[in-house]
Amino acid sequence: MNESRPGFPGRSRDWVPDEVARLLARVARPGRYAGGEFNTRSKPGATPRIVLSYPDVYEIGVSNPALQILYSRINDATPAAAERSYCPWPDLADLMRVAGVPLWTLETFAPVPDCALWGFTLPHELCYTNVLEMLDLAGVPLHAAERDGEDPIVLGGGPAVANPWPLAPFFDAFFAGEVEDHVEALVVALGEESREGRLRALAAVPGVWAPGRSERPAQRQVFMGFSASEPVLRPVVPVLEAVHDRAVIEVMRGCTAGCRFCQAGMWYRPVRERPVEMVVASADRLLDETGCDEVSLLSLSSCDYSGVAEALTRIRGLRPGLRVSLPSLRIDSAAESLARFAAGQRGSLTLAPEAGTQALRDAINKGVDEQQFTEAVRATFEGGFTGLKLYFMIGLPGETDDDVLGIAGMAAEATRLAKEIGRGRARVSVSVSSYVPKAHTPFELEPFAGEETLRRRQQLVREATPRGVRVAFHDVAASVVEATLARGGPGSDRLVEEAWRRGARFDGWSERFDVRRWEEAAMVTGIVLGEPSPERASWRDAVDARLDTRFLDEELERSRAHERTDDCRDGTCAACGVCAGEVGMDLLA
Amino acid sequence: MSWWLVSFARRGPGRYLSHLDTARVVQRTFARARVPIALSQGMRPKPRLSLPLPLPVGAEGGDELAVVEVADGTPADAATLEALRAASPVGFEPFRIVDVGERRVRPQARAATYACVLDGDAGAVVAAVERYNTTKDAVRERVSPKGTRRLDLKEYAGSITATPGDGETRLEFTIRHRSDGSARPQELVDLIADWAQVEPTMRGLERLRVVWKDVPPAG
Ligand code: SF4
Repeated sequence: MNESRPGFPGRSRDWVPDEVARLLARVARPGRYAGGEFNTRSKPGATPRIVLSYPDVYEIGVSNPALQILYSRINDATPAAAERSYCPWPDLADLMRVAGVPLWTLETFAPVPDCALWGFTLPHELCYTNVLEMLDLAGVPLHAAERDGEDPIVLGGGPAVANPWPLAPFFDAFFAGEVEDHVEALVVALGEESREGRLRALAAVPGVWAPGRSERPAQRQVFMGFSASEPVLRPVVPVLEAVHDRAVIEVMRGCTAGCRFCQAGMWYRPVRERPVEMVVASADRLLDETGCDEVSLLSLSSCDYSGVAEALTRIRGLRPGLRVSLPSLRIDSAAESLARFAAGQRGSLTLAPEAGTQALRDAINKGVDEQQFTEAVRATFEGGFTGLKLYFMIGLPGETDDDVLGIAGMAAEATRLAKEIGRGRARVSVSVSSYVPKAHTPFELEPFAGEETLRRRQQLVREATPRGVRVAFHDVAASVVEATLARGGPGSDRLVEEAWRRGARFDGWSERFDVRRWEEAAMVTGIVLGEPSPERASWRDAVDARLDTRFLDEELERSRAHERTDDCRDGTCAACGVCAGEVGMDLLA
Repeated sequence: MSWWLVSFARRGPGRYLSHLDTARVVQRTFARARVPIALSQGMRPKPRLSLPLPLPVGAEGGDELAVVEVADGTPADAATLEALRAASPVGFEPFRIVDVGERRVRPQARAATYACVLDGDAGAVVAAVERYNTTKDAVRERVSPKGTRRLDLKEYAGSITATPGDGETRLEFTIRHRSDGSARPQELVDLIADWAQVEPTMRGLERLRVVWKDVPPAG
């Protein structure tokens, strides 16, 4: 709704300030910086003013679910005003520096640094230099220690807070885990008179870790009101083409399938599900609020959502022609899922075997056998899909060349079935990423495979994969940087800062990533890029993920013995340590 | 099924939308207001919706036109207009809908009047505009992937009005649309900027009016 809409057809107020308009007249895709989306909130004069940022370009950041949750909660349920700002593309950044125009928000065009709190959601390591870029463009001192009463408090959240060390000096505080229960407390803390008082009050909020101030690690927060609370019903809907253009409903949080490489699977435990009734009603409302003609059921593994078949059927019935995007399928139940709720879908489908042999899949706890894989591929093509994308990783702990050659073998089998069933119309493609060990997983202290091994194994896959199968690889050099930061300890921030000072930005974009900047930064700081293993789990000094270290150790042992661990939602608790007190699984009856 | 002419203003943040983005906003606004746009036939149905005169990125427009086929018997009345207005984002302002019946209309622009601000030495810009207004022809080359085309801007825009300000000049001009095409506002501004030796970056571009063939004037 447009509360402050000007009269028609007269002139609206001069929305964009002249100094910004001058810059936007000279950049690509100026709409990235101008807001005006559906469902933006306007709270003139509301205090405190909070800016929410995603450190990547607008099209990537605008649909981020965490930012949508925070934006709705802060604006709709607290006296504060939340506004947004994303990372300017270098063409605009250059012009802003020359013109001396500080970073602005999309809602009001007011300078970001005038806010009380600047919250970043931190999705992954390759966006860290963008955080520094945004601080610099806003004119906020890079280091928290140099900020004074005029400067906003800079708070980091999101999955990368699992190891906050590489960004520690740049943030006043971090929030570990799910923030929903604590939004109110964060807003109240900002009401303190002095910066020192605000920081002290923030540091007292559960889940907050303030570098140099907190005496113990922050305990990751779990939102146990998830199942009973409605998903975001009035999301910001971009008017530019964005990466995701559909109505999104978070149906489930957490995943306990127990893949040993997966940080999200460990970080978002335990599993909580929303009732089907709520999901369907939310879909109905969201279609009205977004104007989208596609609904997506969001979670780490939507096929495991207990109500998936019923929800999909009922949502499809809400509007004629409505598309409900298919959650990525689990291979072990893909054939059944395709028959039950994916019939009639077209286009292409992704299956993620992750590893090329049964032995390695057992080691990473990805329970897929060859027969299940063949059945899933068969069902995919028989179901009418014309494209199949297979997703693998290389560089997993314990991996051998034979495991890697197994990737090509699976691609060959899928291609054979594509020819047999798809009769020339079906295509198989393979995506191979490089595994980077992450904090708070059973593999957290396992060695990183390293550049040489990864390049050699990429070559093995390339040579062994049948002709006609498109194979895409992740940039090894970028994985080396990611690996360095993912387990970087105190002092690893210097690497980020030096790389940024040498021009590193948008490192997650292959066309912008330049490893030489990181190599120079490594030389200057003495930090070794892609060092095999850290000496200790320094992230535990900052964040308690609620995981019992005995569980992580046992999982590592079981991995080495190629033993699988069952999903605890099916009955057997693996004693990961997460469920305790108020925290526990919340499944549909 | 019936075809509607939807008049709207594109202002504020809406000025940074591309042609496709603007079409998407119209489509989404209709969907939010639950006024169904008809879909084309075929494997990938598309909404039957067109914007007959694209507005450049960066330009505001006070009286723009969308042609939309509406799928059911929704009346083109004040209540529907209000629903569309309530469903639209800031920067997109529908202000009139006219039901033109079951036959598709294809409005054609005859002329469009623009205003914009050019930064830089106002004296030099005014002199360049005077030179333009008195010159017989002003031939420029338009380079596109299809090749290079010579274009006499004077055939499309006879004169320009310049209002000098402090370090800036407001320009206003009308561009004729002919069967062989038309000039672009940026081409006129590039020429003036070139002659005045100022940056060819225009600010506040606005399409003030469009004269349409076969479309009743606003009233
Ligand atoms: S404590 Fe047990 S039931 Fe709870 S998430 Fe961990 S393994 Fe599952």
